[in-house]
Amino acid sequence: MNDDQRALSDITMLDLCDEKGQLMGKLMGDMGARVIKIEPPSGARARSIGPFLNDEDDPEYSLYFWANNTSKESITLNLESEGGQSIFRQLASKANVVLESFDPGYLSSLGLDYASLSADNPELIMTSLTGFGQDGPYRDYKTSDIVALAMGGVMHSCGYDDVPGSPPIRPSGGHGYMIGAHYALMGTLMALNWRDMTGEGQYVDASIHEACSCTTEAAMPQYMYNGDVVHRQTGRHHGVASTPKTLCATSDGKFVNVFAVFTSLHAWRTLVTWMDSEDMAEDLTDEKYLDMAAMRTRSGPEVSHAYDVLRRFIASHPADYIYRGSQERKFPWGVVRSPDETLDDPHLWERGFFEEVEHPEIGQSFVYPGRPYVFSKTPWQTRRAPLLGEHNKKVYGQDLGISDTELEGLVSSGVI
Amino acid sequence: MRKHALDGVRVVDFSWIVAGPTTTRMLADFGAEVIRIEYDQTLDYMRNTPSVGMGNSPNVSGTFNNLNRNKLGVTLNVMHPDGMELLRELISVSDIVVENFSSGVLSRWGLDYEEQRKIRPDVIYLSLSGFGHSGPDQHFTTWGPTAQALSGLTYMSGLPGEDPAGWGFSYMDHTAGYYGAMACMMALHHRNKTGEGQWLDLSQVESGIPLTGTAILEKTVNGRQYRQKGNPPGNRSPNPAVAPHNTYRCKGDDRWCVISIFDDQQWAAFVDALGTPDWATATRFATNESRVQHQDDLDMLIETWTTERTPHEAMHTLQAAGIAAGAVQTPKEKVDEDPQLRHRDFIRETVHAEMGNTRFEGQPMNLSKSPWELRLPSPLLGEHADYVYHQLLGTPDEEIARMAEEAVF
Repeated sequence: MNDDQRALSDITMLDLCDEKGQLMGKLMGDMGARVIKIEPPSGARARSIGPFLNDEDDPEYSLYFWANNTSKESITLNLESEGGQSIFRQLASKANVVLESFDPGYLSSLGLDYASLSADNPELIMTSLTGFGQDGPYRDYKTSDIVALAMGGVMHSCGYDDVPGSPPIRPSGGHGYMIGAHYALMGTLMALNWRDMTGEGQYVDASIHEACSCTTEAAMPQYMYNGDVVHRQTGRHHGVASTPKTLCATSDGKFVNVFAVFTSLHAWRTLVTWMDSEDMAEDLTDEKYLDMAAMRTRSGPEVSHAYDVLRRFIASHPADYIYRGSQERKFPWGVVRSPDETLDDPHLWERGFFEEVEHPEIGQSFVYPGRPYVFSKTPWQTRRAPLLGEHNKKVYGQDLGISDTELEGLVSSGVI
Repeated sequence: MRKHALDGVRVVDFSWIVAGPTTTRMLADFGAEVIRIEYDQTLDYMRNTPSVGMGNSPNVSGTFNNLNRNKLGVTLNVMHPDGMELLRELISVSDIVVENFSSGVLSRWGLDYEEQRKIRPDVIYLSLSGFGHSGPDQHFTTWGPTAQALSGLTYMSGLPGEDPAGWGFSYMDHTAGYYGAMACMMALHHRNKTGEGQWLDLSQVESGIPLTGTAILEKTVNGRQYRQKGNPPGNRSPNPAVAPHNTYRCKGDDRWCVISIFDDQQWAAFVDALGTPDWATATRFATNESRVQHQDDLDMLIETWTTERTPHEAMHTLQAAGIAAGAVQTPKEKVDEDPQLRHRDFIRETVHAEMGNTRFEGQPMNLSKSPWELRLPSPLLGEHADYVYHQLLGTPDEEIARMAEEAVF
């Protein structure tokens, strides 16, 4: 494949991000940008986060690192050494984008803030992703994934209404950081379009707290427009008023998520006919259940009885039967799958979603989740995450013209 | 004078409900001219949730206003030949077309990508559907929670041993919308470079799956299923295995804070910030490994401290000691009290013709040269017919009157 076909093939990026922002470089690298991840000589902290290949705690074996750092190059560089700062300035003078997620003020304490880096390279775009942004009373507050999700209001909406005394729940998997990275990447791409149009670079200051704060759907407008505060409900939308539980247990120990039961008379009749064809509609064929407007108010004995009958029907079938049967009848129901159960879905394979990624140094390739979007002309292409310092020779030797002897000196003095 | 990052980009926006409008909100906030095409016989559901005390107008939904600010709006009946002709004219002068219908709808209208290209050769066409436009299940449909369930995200949220807690809102409507905006902007960059447009086929289910990447690799690399004892982990942190890391009950009704400590140095600062209570100096809490082992007791003891404090008191005390702690904030606190959001001008206001002064959540990134701007509230139904049909497309006034008569829009 010719690299030039890829959407971002003309972009070179320096990626200084830790766990907060690493996803940005991955997403741009997978679309063709050259992403140079700059790690301290001891390696990025993400390399120490498990799980690990064969449970071996080794910086090259972190599956967390692998998943979030595909399609990057890696160099080691000690930014706190003068030699390191001078090398970084050289790299930045030729780069299009710098991504960083240090505490506010850290890079400027090293003389590596946007003003000084862009003096030599006015087209440079630099994006900073931090917990709370570059200014304001919480600027120096520490963040973590759970702090981001708590402060931004995501957790206020997530949890249980039927487990007494239970706390708000953080959806696991690192979403606070991912929400921040999604926004910071959108800001970077906006800046790229501005540069394409004007030739000017700029600085992007992105806040994870604000990113989470606008990723809570109706919670904000409910308060801003109605003065209502939503409360959390098990496995379904937050609500001002309580709504019926949509998670229904299946015969194989799973759940399906059930909606749109009373959307229209046609939908209701379709559902009752399905249950009736297996003699499981009980009395739902009765016409007292046909007033959809009343049923949609979601209270009263008819509604809870209808849900009880539906739950009994679902509980006597496996999840996949209900999922496919409901979708074929135009209901937007889904199975609550564990993440690895997506690997069993033929639809995803037929669309070419999953892909094999080679790890030549291990002599194996592994199936990775693929692209979030399919571009008709500019392909997505994934390479395994880099080994620590794998591209030192390429970047320092070929790009910057540093000789092998000089390189050895930089290694022994702890610069790289 | 160019002022916004996407000035000069025009978007034909068929999208509705949440996911697609999230994509076009991003584009509109940063300056694109987004023109919503609505059908007045099948309103965007979000127009059907009027704000309290505002009557039954389609123009008074707060959720709709928040999602569709900065956009223009027209109504159009694409089943009428004149309506289709207007639409084709509009596409010919636009850069991006966005829709989040089920797959197949635009083909039935005779407007699949190949047809759009004939009208506008460098068009960027984003289709945002549940399952994408190919594959055996392409006609299945999703709501946000469906996509969350199918992509594995719902299952990963909850207390061990309980039903899934999932997400309390349509997270994948937000997130698929974000990926839609990224895709449009990457495609714009490619077009800036080469002059070439393209078709972007985004499946809401697929865009959720990479967010579980580590869990999938656990299976494909180590053969280990996610469905096992201890998963999901509640509010604790098995990877990295650190403690304390949890929610803690605070003073007040159902009030909570979170505390996350990742190493022994932070633990020492934490103990100090608590005033070095006796329990905290026990040997079983001296190292991270031992704290992880005894975290049930540890969490209970920490709660004796947090229950004496409000979530914000706990947060401020611990943050002053450099600990990553936070209040589980309510929407009211975010809007009315959060001094950081206020300092950053996160909540913006503008006047809406039917609702008066209205508030909006902001954008979380400041671009130093081409910032986002709140220019307009959401469009009233059909508000910009004159601008779009007359000024932009040059349809004569008498033709517009005739079309209005014949219910073309």
